[in-house]
Amino acid sequence: MTSFVPILAAVVPALPLAGAVLPLLARTPNGADRVGLAVAFPTAAAALWLAVIALARGGQPALHGHWYLLDGASGVLLAVTGVVGLCSALVSPAYLRAHRHGSSSARDSGSWYYSALLLFWAALLAVPIAGNLAVVWLLVEATTAASALLVAFSGVREALEAGWKYLVLTTLGLSVALLGIVVLAVNQARAGRHGLSALDWHALQDAAHALPASATLVAFVLLLAGLATKIGWAPVHNWLPDAHSEAPAPISAMLSAALLPSVLLVAWRVKETLEPSVGAATTRVVFIGFGVASILVAVPFLWRALPWKRLLAYSSLEHMGVIALGIGFGTPLAIAGVVLHIAGHALAKSLGFYAALPLLRHDPAAASRAPGGVANASPSTAAAMGVSLVALAGLPPSPLFLSELLILLGGIAAGCALVSAIAVIGLALGFLGLLHALIEGVVGEGTPRPRGLPRAPERSIVALTAILGTALLALAATGLLLPGSSFVESLARGVL
Amino acid sequence: MSSVVVNAMLALAVGVIVVRRRSVAIVLVGAQSLALSIGALQLSSGRSGGFLLAALVLLSKAVVLPALLFALMRRTREARLVVAASGPLVRLAGAGALALFAVSVVPPLGLGNTHIEHAAVALVLIGIAIVVARRPAFFQLLGLIVAENGLSLLAVSVPGGLSYVIELGALFDLALVVTVAAAFAQRIHSELGTGDTELLRALRD
Repeated sequence: MTSFVPILAAVVPALPLAGAVLPLLARTPNGADRVGLAVAFPTAAAALWLAVIALARGGQPALHGHWYLLDGASGVLLAVTGVVGLCSALVSPAYLRAHRHGSSSARDSGSWYYSALLLFWAALLAVPIAGNLAVVWLLVEATTAASALLVAFSGVREALEAGWKYLVLTTLGLSVALLGIVVLAVNQARAGRHGLSALDWHALQDAAHALPASATLVAFVLLLAGLATKIGWAPVHNWLPDAHSEAPAPISAMLSAALLPSVLLVAWRVKETLEPSVGAATTRVVFIGFGVASILVAVPFLWRALPWKRLLAYSSLEHMGVIALGIGFGTPLAIAGVVLHIAGHALAKSLGFYAALPLLRHDPAAASRAPGGVANASPSTAAAMGVSLVALAGLPPSPLFLSELLILLGGIAAGCALVSAIAVIGLALGFLGLLHALIEGVVGEGTPRPRGLPRAPERSIVALTAILGTALLALAATGLLLPGSSFVESLARGVL
Repeated sequence: MSSVVVNAMLALAVGVIVVRRRSVAIVLVGAQSLALSIGALQLSSGRSGGFLLAALVLLSKAVVLPALLFALMRRTREARLVVAASGPLVRLAGAGALALFAVSVVPPLGLGNTHIEHAAVALVLIGIAIVVARRPAFFQLLGLIVAENGLSLLAVSVPGGLSYVIELGALFDLALVVTVAAAFAQRIHSELGTGDTELLRALRD
C-alpha cells in the first residue's frame, strides 16, 4: 500500500488546488455550490485514504521521499483537515444562501468563496506532509493569503478589521519565523550543506547536533515566536478572537479545527528537529510557557458573556495551550493526550461553529451579544451547541476529558507537577466558565422561534450533531487504547 | 555586499518610518528594493545561475511593487494626511533604539559578517515598528515589505546563496500577500473613506 504514497501525497493537495478554478466557471450560485461539493468529496476521500495509510503503520518509522514526510502526526492532521474541510464545504451553501439574503454586495461572490476555501484547504492539507521546513513556511504563508480574504468575506466593517489584523499580524509573525529559517540556512551553508534539501526536516535533525548552539537557539526562538503568532498562543493571540468571530462559520471551523493544530505540528517538528542542539530543557520551557500563558489568558474570557463564536475562539486559545503543554511535557502519556486532544477539539469545535449558522439565522443579534435560551427557540441548534460545549469543557464522556487527564498525568510523569497543578486550576475554571455559558446561553430563558424560518439548515445541523457527536464518543473509546500503543510510543520518540 | 548598500537600505527604512507622504514612502521602499537587488547582482558572479535568476527577480520586485503601490495610492486618495499617533522625531528615536537593540542583543547568526547580520535584524524590527507606529493601512503594508527586504538581505548573503527555490517562493508569497493586502487597503478606504486603521477599533472584549 505504501507504493501509492508519493502519488497520493501529491494528489491530496493537488485536487483542491486544481479544483479552485472550477467554481469561477460556474454561472449561478447553485452551480458554484455544486462544484464546491464535487471537489470536496474526492479531496476528503484522498486525504482520509492517506491518513489511514499513515495511521495504520502504527509505530513504524515515518515514510519520506524527495519532498514529502508521512508519519503518525501527519495522519492525524490529514484526517482532521479532511473531515473538517468536507463538513465546511457541506454547510457552506446554507451560509451563502443566508449571506446572499443579507448583503447585496456579496450576491455573486459564492464562486470566489469556494475558490478561496479550496485554496486554503489545499495549503492546509499540504502542511503536515511537506518534508521541508522552508516549503512548510511557504504553505503556512499561503494559508494566510487565502484565509484572510475569507475572514473578511461578509464585507462588514468588523470583518474588514478582523481580516486586516489577521493578515498583518500573522504575516509579521511569519516574517520572524522566516528569519529563523534563514539563520538555519546560513549555518547549514557554512557546514557545506547547500540548497533546499539542507532544510529538509531529516537533514536538519541529522545536522542539528553539529550546528552552533547559540545560532540554533536564536533560530529556534525566532521560529517559535513567529509560529506562535499563527497558532494564536498567548501573548501573541490578538488576531484570533476577531478572525474566528467575524469569519463565515464554515471558515471559522477550518481556522480553529485545522489551521491552528496544523501550524502547531510545524512547531512540534521544529522542536524535535532542533532539540539535539538547543537542549530538551529549553524546548520544554518554551512550549510549557506558551501553554500555561494561553490557558491563563483564555480563562477570564470563558467566564464572560461573549457572542457564541467569540466564546469558541477563546476556547481555541485555551485548547492550543493544552496541546502545547502536552508537547512540552513530551512523555508518552502526554503525547497520547495530545493526539486525542487535536482530534477531539477539531470535532467539537467545528460542530460549535456550524451551530452558529442556524443560531444566527433565528437570532441575528447573537452575532454581537451572548446567546440566551436557544433551546426555547431551536432545540436542534441548542443540542448542537450543548454537545459542542460539553465536549469542549471536558465533561465525561468527552474525549477531551480523557486527553486532558492524560496530558496532566504525563506532566506529573515528566516531573512537572507544579505546572500540572496550575493547569488543573486553569482548566477547572475554564470548565466552569463553559458550563456557565451552557446554562445561560443554551438552557436558560430565551426568545421563541420566529415564524416562517425554513427548516433546512436545522435538518443539516441535526445530522451534523448526530455524526460528529457519535464520532466524539468513538474517539473517546479509541482514546482508551492510545496509552502504551506503539503508535504513541513512536510519536513520543519524535514526529519525524 | 558592500557596506554602502547595506547602510543605504537601513537609512531608507528609517526614512519610511519618518516621512508623511505615501508617494515619498513608496519611492524610499522602491529604492531600498533596488539597493538590495544591486547588492545581490554584485554577489552573483561566481555563484549559480539560480542565484542570478533570484537577483533578477529581486530587481523586478524593485520595479513591480512600487508600480502596484502607486496604482493603489491613486485608487485610495486621502482628502487630508492621516494624523500620526506620534511625531516624526519620536518615531525616528524609536527606530534608532530598535537598530541599537538589534546590534547589542542579537548574537552572531553564523554569517561571519556582523554588519549584515545586524542590519538584517534591524530592518525586520524597523518593518515591525512601521506597522505598529503608522496608522494608515498603506504604511503598514510598506512595513511588511521593509521587513521582507531585511530577510532578503540576510538570505542573499548566505555563503553560496540560499536556494533560489526558497527565494523565489518567498518572493511569490510576498507578491501574494501584498496583493491581498492591497485589496484590503482598497476595501478599508472605500468603507471608511480613509486608510486610517485607527478607525477600525470595533472589536474589543
